[in-house]
Amino acid sequence: MRNQYRLGIDAGGTFTDFILADRDGGVQLFKAPSTPQDGTLAIRAGLAQIADAVGRSPAEIIADCDLCINGTTVALNALIERTGVKVGLLCTEGHEDSLEIRLGHKEEGHRYDAHYPPAHMLVPRHLRRPVGGRILSDGREYSPLDEAAVREAIEYFRAEGVEAVAISFVWSVRNPAHELRAAEMVRAALPGVFVCTGVEVFPQIREYTRTSTTVVNAYLSPVMARYVERIDALFEELGAQQPVRYFQSNGGLAPGGMMRERAVNAINSGPASAPQAGLSVAKPFDIDNVITVDMGGTSFDITLTNAGRTNFSKDVDFLRQRIGVPMIQVETLGAGGGSIAHLDEFGMLQVGPRSAGAKPGPVCYGKGGLEPTVTDANLVLGYLPDGALLGGSIRLNRQAALDAIRSRIADPLGISIERAAYGITTLVNLNMVNGIRRVSIERGHDPRDFALIGAGGAAGMHVVRLAEEIGIHTVLIPKVASGLCAFGQILSDMRYDQLTSLPMRLDAGHVDLERLNRALAELRNKGLGNLREDGFAADTIECHYTLEMRYLGQIHECSVELASSRLDEQGLAALCDAFHRRHQALYSYSEPGSPVELVNLECSVIGRLPRPPLPELPQPAEVGEAAPSSLRKMLFSADGDWQATPVYDGNHLQAGQSVQGPCVIEESTTNIVIPPGWQATLTPSATYRVTPRT
Amino acid sequence: MSTVDPITLAVVRGALETAQREMTLTLEKTGRSSVFNLAHDYSNALFDHFPEMILQGQDIPIHLGSLIPAMKCVAEFFEGDIAEGDVIYHNDPAYKGSHILDCCMYKPVFYQGELVFWTVCKGHLTDIGGPVPAGYNPDAKEIYAEGLRIPPVKLWAGGKRREDVFNLLLTNMRARPYQEGDLNAQYGACCVGERHLLELVEKYGVAQVRACIAELKNMADRHMRALLRDVPDGHYSGTAILEDSGHGLGELEITAHVEIRGDEAHVRIESPPQVPYFINSYEGNSVSGVYLGLMMFAQVPPPYNEGLYRCVSVDLGPKGTLCNAEEPAPHVNCTTTPMETLADAVRQALEQAAPERVTASWGHASGINIAGHDPRREGDEYVTMVLASIISGAGANKVMDGWHACGPLCCFGALMSGDIELLEYSYPIVIHRYSLMSDSGGAGEFRGGSGTRLEIEPLEHEMTVVGFGEGRQLATAGAAGARNALIEPKLGRLIHRRADGEETHYIQNPVLTVRPGERVINVNPGGGGYGDPLRRPVAAVLDDLRNGLVSAEGARLEYGVIVDAAGHLDEAATRAARAPH
Repeated sequence: MRNQYRLGIDAGGTFTDFILADRDGGVQLFKAPSTPQDGTLAIRAGLAQIADAVGRSPAEIIADCDLCINGTTVALNALIERTGVKVGLLCTEGHEDSLEIRLGHKEEGHRYDAHYPPAHMLVPRHLRRPVGGRILSDGREYSPLDEAAVREAIEYFRAEGVEAVAISFVWSVRNPAHELRAAEMVRAALPGVFVCTGVEVFPQIREYTRTSTTVVNAYLSPVMARYVERIDALFEELGAQQPVRYFQSNGGLAPGGMMRERAVNAINSGPASAPQAGLSVAKPFDIDNVITVDMGGTSFDITLTNAGRTNFSKDVDFLRQRIGVPMIQVETLGAGGGSIAHLDEFGMLQVGPRSAGAKPGPVCYGKGGLEPTVTDANLVLGYLPDGALLGGSIRLNRQAALDAIRSRIADPLGISIERAAYGITTLVNLNMVNGIRRVSIERGHDPRDFALIGAGGAAGMHVVRLAEEIGIHTVLIPKVASGLCAFGQILSDMRYDQLTSLPMRLDAGHVDLERLNRALAELRNKGLGNLREDGFAADTIECHYTLEMRYLGQIHECSVELASSRLDEQGLAALCDAFHRRHQALYSYSEPGSPVELVNLECSVIGRLPRPPLPELPQPAEVGEAAPSSLRKMLFSADGDWQATPVYDGNHLQAGQSVQGPCVIEESTTNIVIPPGWQATLTPSATYRVTPRT
Repeated sequence: MSTVDPITLAVVRGALETAQREMTLTLEKTGRSSVFNLAHDYSNALFDHFPEMILQGQDIPIHLGSLIPAMKCVAEFFEGDIAEGDVIYHNDPAYKGSHILDCCMYKPVFYQGELVFWTVCKGHLTDIGGPVPAGYNPDAKEIYAEGLRIPPVKLWAGGKRREDVFNLLLTNMRARPYQEGDLNAQYGACCVGERHLLELVEKYGVAQVRACIAELKNMADRHMRALLRDVPDGHYSGTAILEDSGHGLGELEITAHVEIRGDEAHVRIESPPQVPYFINSYEGNSVSGVYLGLMMFAQVPPPYNEGLYRCVSVDLGPKGTLCNAEEPAPHVNCTTTPMETLADAVRQALEQAAPERVTASWGHASGINIAGHDPRREGDEYVTMVLASIISGAGANKVMDGWHACGPLCCFGALMSGDIELLEYSYPIVIHRYSLMSDSGGAGEFRGGSGTRLEIEPLEHEMTVVGFGEGRQLATAGAAGARNALIEPKLGRLIHRRADGEETHYIQNPVLTVRPGERVINVNPGGGGYGDPLRRPVAAVLDDLRNGLVSAEGARLEYGVIVDAAGHLDEAATRAARAPH
C-alpha cells in the first residue's frame, strides 16, 4: 500500500458499511443508514463520521486512499423486490416463450407440491416481440433478419414506454450479425433506452440461459447505472486517485463503466466477498471449513467454504431466474432485521420475505414504518437497548415496536406480546437454519464439521442460536462483523472473466491448435486491455484459463484448468488426460478411448492488489474478569420470565477475556447475543470465539 | 431399535438425498443421448437390503413407482447369487419393468462383506432394436415385434465387465455409440451413489444408518396415513376415457375404485381386455400409475420412500386386461398411454372424496421420436425421443392457475425439453417454433396451463418421425365445475406440413418421412381448468388476452368477457354474459 488508507464501502439494503484500513494494521468500521434513492447520501454521511474519527476532511482521506471499493446490493434488491425497469425482449420468431417455458421443467423439491407457483416473468408475454430471421447451428443464415418486424417491435416498445431492450436471437453466439443489426436499429430509434444483446452479455451456447441472463441484465443495468453515476461523480469530486472499483459476483473488482452495462455480473456483489472475509477471520484458528452467514436488514446470505475452496456456480437458477455468468455460490434468503412479520391469509404468523429495508425501516426507527420487523422483536426482547443510537442517527423506540407487535400480531392471534416477539425471532431463525442445511447437509457436508461465522449488522443477535439448532460448536464473530463484506472487499483483486464458445473435437484430424490458441489469446488480450486501462503493471497480472470439455456426444461439460496460455501437442495430451481424470473423479468412470470435445473457453484475468495488514489487539499481560456495564431485562424463551441480564461493552473487553451467557456484548455497530449455555472469548485477532459452556 | 438423534437423522436424510441427486447429476452430465442429457428421462432410487425403496427423489414419477416391484423381482431372480461387484440390467415388463425402452441398472452395495444398499438407475434408451427406430412400433401386435426384451442379466459379475453380454445388447440397438455411452452413464450413476452411501455407513455405522432409514420410512407412512384419515371413509370411483386413436379400437374406459377406511386405502382398477396395439400396461407400470394418481392428490411432504405405500393396497384387475397386461401384449406406449388415463381415473375417484384438494388433470403426452442419418457427421445414425414434443400444460387447482409447459402428467414437471440450441447442435434439425398457444389451457376459475407447439424441419436429409401418445380428440379433464367451450385449441396435434403448405393431420400414431423444406408440427395439449370459468376475475381474463394466452373469442365463449376490436372491455355486455342464467 503506497497510501495511508484503503476504503471499502458495502452498501446493503439497510446500512452502508465502511471499512477503513490503514497501512499500520488498523481497521475501523463505520455505518450509515442506506439511502436507496441516492446511495451517495449514505456515503457522505459515512465519510463525515470517518472524518470526525480520523480528524481529517473527507477529501483529504479519499485523496490518501490507494483504492476505494464499493460492493452493492442495488441489483440484488431490485431483483428481489421486483423494482427493475420495464424491459422489452426482441427474440427469434417462434421462440418468444423460452423464458416462460423454462425448459418445460418444475424445479426439484416441488415435485408433489401442487401450490408452488410458477416463476415471476420479468418480461410479460406481450413485451416479448418475435422477429423473423434465423441463424443455424453452424453460423449460416437460414433466413434474413426481418427489419420491418424489428421496427414494429420498436414502435410497440416506444408506445409501452419500455426503459430497456434485451435482444437475444437463436445462435447469435455463432453469428451475431442479426443481433448486432437489431441492436443498432433499436439504439438509433430509442435513444436513452438501455440496450444489451445476448452475445455481449453471455456469449456461450444455450439459448434459454443466454436470453434469461440478457433479460436480467436489461432489467437491472439501468438501476445500477443510476447508482454508479452518482457514486463515481462523488468520488471524483472528492479527488480520488483512482475511479471507484465495484465488487462483482465472481469475487473480483471492476470499474463503474463495466457495472453500468453488466449489472448481471454484480447481482451478488455484496455477499460474494463473504468467503474471502470468512476465511481470513478463521485463519488464526487454523480453520478452513467455514460457513459464513451475513444477515443485514433485507437478506440473509450463506456461503460455504470447504477446505479453503469456495464453489462457483454457472448456468443456475438464481431467485428463480436462469443466470449464465459465473458467480460465487451464495444461498440468499429474504430474512433480515427488516423482514416484516405478518399474518397470512390463513392467520398464520409469517416472517419475510418482504422487508422494510432502510425506508421506512423497522417501526422502532420511527421513520414511518408501521409493520413490525425482526429488529422490532429483538428490541422488545431486550437484545437491543431502548433509546440507543444506531448508525449515529437512528434512535430506537421500544414503545413503538411494542405497540406494532401488539396490534398487528399479538392481539389478532390472542397471544401475549412476549410470545409474539419470541415467535417472530423463532420463525426467522428456522428459515435461516433451513437455508444453512440446504448449503451443507444437502450438498453432502455435515455442518458440525464447520465453524459458523456471523457477519452483518443483525447476525450477532441470531447466529449463536442458529449454531445451537444445527449442532455447530464454534461460532466466530469478528468485532467488524457488521461490516465483514466490506472487509472482504478490501482484500480482493480486480477480475475480468472473458467467455466464449468454440466447439471443436480435440482428437487428431479434427483439432485446430492454432485456432484454439488464437481464441485463448483473444480472451486474454481483452482482459489485459481492461487491466491496462486500470493501470496494472504486467507483474501484478495473472490469467487463469478454464476449458469446458466433454466426450463427443455429451451435452454437459466438465471444467478443466489449463496451466499455460498456449497449447502445443504435448499440452493438448496433458489437457485431455486432465479431462479424463476429472470425469473419473466426478462421475466415477472415464472413457480414455473416446474422442473429447472442447465447448467453452473462459479466461479470468486478475490484477493483484497489495493486501492491507490484518487487525491485531494488544494482549494484556494479565487478563482480569470482565465486568458488565449494566443489567437489562431480557427474554430467552417464549414463556420464560424476564431476566436481568448482563450487558458488556465490547470496547472495554480485552483480548483473552471471556463472558458467560446469557448476556449481550454491545459493539459499536452490532449486538451479540450469547444465549444461556454458551460462552464468548475475545481473541487477539479481534474476533469473539463463541462455544458451548463446558 | 435405538432412538435416533434428530441431527443424525437430518444428516442421514440429507446424505441420502445427496447420493440420489448426485446419481441424477451424473446421468445428466455424462449421458450421450438427449433423452438423458437434456430431457432427464431417467430416474434414480436407493434401496436398502430388504430391498425397500428408501428414497424416491424428484425424478420421473412414472418410473419410480415401478421400481418398487421391479427391484424385488430382480433381487428374487438372483437370490443367493448376488455378489460384490455385480451389476444387474433389465427392462422386461414380464419382470415388472415399465416398458422395454426403460432399461434399469441395479448395483448391490456391500459394506464389509454385507449387502447394505442397492443403487438403482432407470433410463430411457433411445433405441432398443425392433422394426421401428426408437421402439414405438404402432403396428406391433405382440411385444416380440417391439424390440429387445432383457430379463435380469448380469452386466458385471464380481467386478468383471461381461463384454459378451454388452455386445449382445448393443448389437441389437441402433446408434450403438449413443447407447453404449448411456450404459456407461448409468454405471457411473450407480457407482457415484455407491460412493456416497459407503461414506455414510463409514461415518455413522450400519446400525445407526438403518435406524435412521427405518424412521424415515415410518415418517412417510405417518404422513400418508394422516392424509387418508382426513379423507371421509367411503367407496369412490372415477372413470376416465381413453380416446379412439384411429387404430380401430374405439374409446376405452378405465375405472378406479378407491375405498378409504380409516387410515388405509384400497385401489381396484377395472379396464377392458388387452388390445393388439402398443398401449397395454403390465403390472409394474400400472402400479406406478396408481401411485402417481395418489401422489397428485396427496401433496404429502417429504420424505418420499416405500413407507408412503404401506397403507395402500392395489388390485389391478384380472390378468390379460389393459392395465394388467400379460404376454404377448404390445406395450411400448404404456408409460404415457394408458398410464395417464389410469392416473386420471384415480384422481377423479379422489375428487369425489375431497374436491377441494384435487388438481385438474395435466395434459397427456402426444409426441414424436425422430431418426435419420446426420449429414454433418458423415451420415452417423441418430435416433431419439423428442422430449420437447411432450411438454404439456399442468392442471389448475383451488389455489392457482396451472403451470404452462410443465407436463406431461406422467412426468409431473421432472422432464426437461432441452435447450433448443443444444438440440440443434446434437441433431441435424431446425426448430422453427417452440412456443405457448392461445386458448390452450382449460377454461376455469383457475385456468389450466398452456401446452406447447413444436415445429421441426430436417436439415439436408430425410428424417423418420414416429408418433406416440394421445390427447388429440379429448381435451384434458378439468375439475370442480371447469368447462371448455373452445375444444380445438386445447387438443394435441400431429401435423405433417409439406413444402407447399399442405398439411396432413394425424389422430393415430404414424411413421412418417419428413424432407427438407417440410415440417413436422407437434402440438401438446394444455392442462385442465379448475372451477366455473365465469368466476374467473375479469382482470385475469384481460391479462391473459393481452398476453395472447386467451383470444377475444375465447374470452367471450369461455369466460363471458366481451371486448371490442381494440381489446377494451365492454362492461355491460360482460355483465350480461356473466349473469347467472
